[in-house]
Amino acid sequence: MIRAVFQILGIFVLLLALTIITLKLKNQNADGPSVLFPGGELISGELYEGPEPDWSFTDDVFFIELQTDEPLSSRRIFVMESDGKVYVPSGYMRSFLGKLWKDWAFQVEDGSNLAVARTNGVRYERELLRVKDPGIIRGVADKLAQKYAGGASPEAVAEIQQSVDEGDTWIFEMAPRRQQP
Amino acid sequence: MNNVTYAKVCGGVGLVWVLGLLFVPPFAELVEQLMLLFLSTNAR
Repeated sequence: MIRAVFQILGIFVLLLALTIITLKLKNQNADGPSVLFPGGELISGELYEGPEPDWSFTDDVFFIELQTDEPLSSRRIFVMESDGKVYVPSGYMRSFLGKLWKDWAFQVEDGSNLAVARTNGVRYERELLRVKDPGIIRGVADKLAQKYAGGASPEAVAEIQQSVDEGDTWIFEMAPRRQQP
Repeated sequence: MNNVTYAKVCGGVGLVWVLGLLFVPPFAELVEQLMLLFLSTNAR
């Protein structure tokens, strides 16, 4: 009986390992990420060139694809518009899995902050700037709760603000790229 | 089951699983969604 249990457990461990290895290799150079695994460079899609867009259209967008440059990889991520600017979050930043899973956010924080975002088939060249200003965070938290937490109740917004204050959630503005000298 | 049979079962199941992940996109997406659900619930 115990032998059978261990054998079944062994098959589950095998399948988990095969899943991680297979999907990681399959997606690492793909044009965009999968649900959970990072993809490669965002290649397809029109590259937006023009004035700063009206980002309110992202209210109807559940996730975008975000590519960071060093190392070159992409992932799906939530998006929030607030006060005419657009933001992306990165959660679980103080958890063990977060430290493994969210390496891109640590790399952005270290200075590799050039990014390309893709949504609705259009790519936008951006620069990620971490935001900590409480006034800005309040508006972003409100939108985050409204879109992804079932509604912007005071409790939900406060929980998000606390998560940002404690460093569990990082918020980045997807700002226009500054002109290089 | 004995070790040889077990190894064959692992090999067969593993092969089918990998082929499903590679060539059946809805299956790969389902597996990823389940993994994401687990991580979202337990990554604290």
